[in-house]
Amino acid sequence: MDYLAQTAVLLAGLFPKLVAGFLVTLGIAAAAVPLALLFGLLLLAPRMDRRAFICAPTIGFIELMRNTPLLVQIYLIYFGLPLLGFYPSEFACGVAGIALQHGAFLVETYRGAIETISQRQWDAARAIGMGRFKAFRHVILPQAILKILGPLGNQVIVLTKDTSLVSAIGVMELTMTGKMAIERSAVSVEIFVTVALFYLVLTTALGGAARLIEHRAAGRH
Amino acid sequence: MFDVLIGNLTYLLRGAVMTLWLAVAVVTLGTLLGAGIGILAAVGNRIIRGTITAYIFILRGIPVLVVMFLGYYAFPALGLRVNTYVAVGFAQIVYVGAFTAEIVRSAILSVHPEQIAAAKSLGMRRTAILREVILPQAIRIAIPPLLNNALTAIKQTSYASVVGAWELTYAAREVVERTLASFQIFLGVMAIYFAICYPLSLLARWCEKRLMATH
Repeated sequence: MDYLAQTAVLLAGLFPKLVAGFLVTLGIAAAAVPLALLFGLLLLAPRMDRRAFICAPTIGFIELMRNTPLLVQIYLIYFGLPLLGFYPSEFACGVAGIALQHGAFLVETYRGAIETISQRQWDAARAIGMGRFKAFRHVILPQAILKILGPLGNQVIVLTKDTSLVSAIGVMELTMTGKMAIERSAVSVEIFVTVALFYLVLTTALGGAARLIEHRAAGRH
Repeated sequence: MFDVLIGNLTYLLRGAVMTLWLAVAVVTLGTLLGAGIGILAAVGNRIIRGTITAYIFILRGIPVLVVMFLGYYAFPALGLRVNTYVAVGFAQIVYVGAFTAEIVRSAILSVHPEQIAAAKSLGMRRTAILREVILPQAIRIAIPPLLNNALTAIKQTSYASVVGAWELTYAAREVVERTLASFQIFLGVMAIYFAICYPLSLLARWCEKRLMATH
């Protein structure tokens, strides 16, 4: 058999395994995205609080998350929590690590969007008798969401690519599946090119979906 | 409680020096490569532009860890024997280059076309327009995102440990395997990364503010 046919046969044999790994990758992303969005929202109020004893520790935590590698954060959770008596699964540790770091990036995205909406809008909403919450809910938030959609789409794509790091703690997702397959066979580059293609298809689809949502939302206003 | 960390600090700091070397190599070479490609993408003909668009699109859609594995396995497959640092570093340079190219290209394209028309009407040549009109403005726009790009690249050097390159994160795992003091060691390592990354992060934000103020 020539090289092409041989490689094709090998990759076809591996395909079900790679698809299984791909589904785990999807699962990690699907669990981490809503958690990261939520975690970012939870940090928003303390981050924007004017009292130093509330906002200073929040800023400290956010900066620590943003300025250290995600891999080390995942290791800290995975190898550190058992010392404290918790034994979560590899999957849960990976999802938690990803959600924590991306949540810390998202707070700043949220804050940036809220702060670019001019103070005059706040003043106008307050002047017609809206309370702080009502002004936020009906005036600031709808505009902020429009501004956030673009960066949010990007963040989801970065997060999806970051799921590959969970392979470092032994979760059998796409990257890990590729690595294991290489250790058992003679071809290596071909397998990782296939793995890369899986990721490329996923991120391209996500990018397309993000643009579509952004376009729709912009059209409605 | 933290004497394990203090006892192993010299070993970890040796890892940090390796991380710094890796970071300096990846950031300088990746930025230079990306800047060249980004300029080519803005001025080149259709074939060059298409090729560069494909390069940027493909690399940006793949996790850097997968690109590192590809680099690690590609050299031996091509019959070349290189050490892990070269293979992983090369992969990361190509990766950082794609992100840099996109930043540089969009910075160049954000310079208003009327300025180019004005420069042409003054009789300036293409290279002179690029050098004296476009690039000075584009560089100012590109600096903050390039700094953030460098920051991401520095953090990503830790992923090289997964492929087998010895640096700070790899050293930390070794120490943890020996001492089992995972919490203390990884917290200490996070502090070292923070000390490297945070000043750059502040610099990026300062440049962003200055740029906003001048516009």
